[in-house]
Amino acid sequence: MSPVIDNTAREHVHDLTSDTATIPTDEMFDIMKTATRGDDVFGADDDVNDLEVFMANMLGHEASLFCASGTQSNQIGLRTLLTQPPHSVLCDARAHIFVHECGGLSYHSQASVTPVIPKKGLYLTAEDVEANINKDTLTGAVTRVVALENTMNGTIMPFEEIKRIRAVCDKHGLYLHLDGARLWNASAATGVSMSEYGKLFDSISVCLSKGAGAPIGSIIASTKDRIRHARHLRKLMGGGWRQAGFLAKIARHCIETAVPTMPETHKLASRLATHLQSLGIRLALPCETNMLFLDFAPAGLTAEDFAVELRKKNIKITATSGSTISRVVLHYQVTAEVIEQFMDVATNIVKSHGKPVTTAMETDVKENGNTTNSSIESLGAAYPSGKN
Amino acid sequence: MTFTGKTLMRLTTLRMMPVRRSFSTTGASRLYIQNNLNNDQTHPSLQADPNAKVYDFRSDTVTAPTDEMFDVMKAASRGDDVFQEDRSVKELEEYMANLCGHEAALFCASGTMTNQLGLRTHLSNPPHSVVCDARSHVFLWEAGGIAFHSRASVSPVICRNGIHVTADEIEGNLIEADIHTAPTRVVSLENTLSGLVMPIDEIRKISELARSRGLAMHLDGARLWNAHIQSGVPMHEYGAQFDSMSLCLSKGVGAPVGSILVGDHTFIDRARHLRKLFGGGWRQVGPLAAVAKHCIENVVPTMPETHKLAKYLSDQLTSMGIQLQVPVHTNMVLIDTASVGLDVQEDLIPTLLRKNIVIGGQRNKSRIVLHHQVDRKGVDTLIEGVREAITARRAAEPEQQQQQQVAASLY
Repeated sequence: MSPVIDNTAREHVHDLTSDTATIPTDEMFDIMKTATRGDDVFGADDDVNDLEVFMANMLGHEASLFCASGTQSNQIGLRTLLTQPPHSVLCDARAHIFVHECGGLSYHSQASVTPVIPKKGLYLTAEDVEANINKDTLTGAVTRVVALENTMNGTIMPFEEIKRIRAVCDKHGLYLHLDGARLWNASAATGVSMSEYGKLFDSISVCLSKGAGAPIGSIIASTKDRIRHARHLRKLMGGGWRQAGFLAKIARHCIETAVPTMPETHKLASRLATHLQSLGIRLALPCETNMLFLDFAPAGLTAEDFAVELRKKNIKITATSGSTISRVVLHYQVTAEVIEQFMDVATNIVKSHGKPVTTAMETDVKENGNTTNSSIESLGAAYPSGKN
Repeated sequence: MTFTGKTLMRLTTLRMMPVRRSFSTTGASRLYIQNNLNNDQTHPSLQADPNAKVYDFRSDTVTAPTDEMFDVMKAASRGDDVFQEDRSVKELEEYMANLCGHEAALFCASGTMTNQLGLRTHLSNPPHSVVCDARSHVFLWEAGGIAFHSRASVSPVICRNGIHVTADEIEGNLIEADIHTAPTRVVSLENTLSGLVMPIDEIRKISELARSRGLAMHLDGARLWNAHIQSGVPMHEYGAQFDSMSLCLSKGVGAPVGSILVGDHTFIDRARHLRKLFGGGWRQVGPLAAVAKHCIENVVPTMPETHKLAKYLSDQLTSMGIQLQVPVHTNMVLIDTASVGLDVQEDLIPTLLRKNIVIGGQRNKSRIVLHHQVDRKGVDTLIEGVREAITARRAAEPEQQQQQQVAASLY
């Protein structure tokens, strides 16, 4: 969901429903003008080629491909690994590739999915993976790829755990794919470099149009051969765009300017989280990067109650009708002032409408470990659906 | 702004081209040899001079954005198109729907995407198949998309007249449902195809036939603009014959990226969902939509000049003894160089690259495509280059040349 940016409009809506809401600035169009204007289907555009080399290097891979969306880069990456059915993908039950890509795994790769509910609640472990590998060559769809997502719902999968999962995959001869749409955030938060992460995976998808700030686009990185195949698949999927040089150039500019600001964004998110918790609002998931999953129920309020008041300050949050939860996402275009206003509104609304304030800080989900099922069931309403 | 016959400079009727020696008699199966991933079109040992202007005649997809276009982009809206919240995109989609006489439209990343989405939306229930011209882009140049996305078979029809399929030919290739078959579900036409304009009368006949059989009509109208300009038939008149049309914005129309699919509301809603599945759910594309609309309004009216230039090029080349694979109707000149003894890769491409002209093709065939960013100077340089190549060839092997000329004159 996005702000309605009309250059004639005075009002700017601060859209906290997703970091896909990062919008191009006027300055960006001036930069776009300086880009090369070759035809990318013919591989004849320098800026696209440069971006692909840049990203491949950054991710520790041989080659990369510039795609129209994260869905496209994920599905293409997976398709290059899923060459011969029957086969399946093992992933977290909440994974974007499984839940929010229109059944792409089945459609593009004729692959079944083994959706795993992580025992510890926040992220898949090597044990989760190993326990769910399908090796049934008689009646089953054998596991071919294990797919991880980092960050998922803004939470970080520990680097050590990824390494352990890599070892499991190696042991069983499986590929490992990363939906790293928000890997930038993980890297900023942990200090592990993009390339250290990248090298653990056979294919890795990294989004440019979310927190990284570009208007459009996503990257898939892998071996030269797979990316060659990926380019062909991209054409098949209708992603063979022509003069995309300016999109590549601006993506690169955004990576260089927006990504370094992520630590500040994370600090703001953390600040907001602390304040809201002090008002009695619960975090359904820990706030580890740029996302807050807020549960207003303990404060006696619904998401809509908040949304209405925030809208008066031109701040937009997801508010599914009847729900008490909402996902709030920060990015580099959300300023400290906006967060201050959010905090003020929250303070006021809880004081005037909500239950008496208790400083009941929810214990970390990690420590509890057994709220898994309710986490997965109840978070659906927190996401923007395009209908509200 | 809609285009009607009145906005054209003059209506030109298509001259009936008599079958004569200007046309190659080889089959119509491979008219345009495109590059593949292994065999780049760039000649291996020679590159164009990057500092001087390069004329790329391989396709009208190479139309490049101008500085002015970035200003247009800057002024556009910046909403999220996945959630259908962008004003500029909505404007473009409404504009195109109205222009084509359809209810709704969808802005996508490419012509492959709009074609495949259009077909996929019709093809909901296998077994099923598509009938189309054997030279169709949807069949040959979309990476097997019909099979992949729609699990459909294809009945490719080789047209007898070498220009366009006829209603009789379509009817003769329809597959009825029985236990063995993949019955025809969609008739997919292409206009222009290899630059050739398909007559509206024939389209009407095919449309009537299809509708009488309960079949869907889809148009790959990537270059419908050129057909419209050349024939004078209004866009919505074409639109009335089809259930869905795909129109490209990034070819002769000149936009950097994009293509449009038109259809009714239900159809486009479904196509939009499928677009996300294809990975075409892009975000802040208002600028791309705004510049596409700008190009439609400013570039399409220049097409008559482009067509004239193509005619001029073709006349010059045929006067040198080169043959045409098919007549020149719009912006494409498809040549056959056998009669002048030229191999495209060996003789023509290197000579032209030295003049900063890029063409494609293999053996004796090449497709030369013009667009609004090709000027008379570029065309003249190309002509000059071809003349040089012919002269060089004649000088190199005079005897072989004479033999070929004798053979050619027998046609």
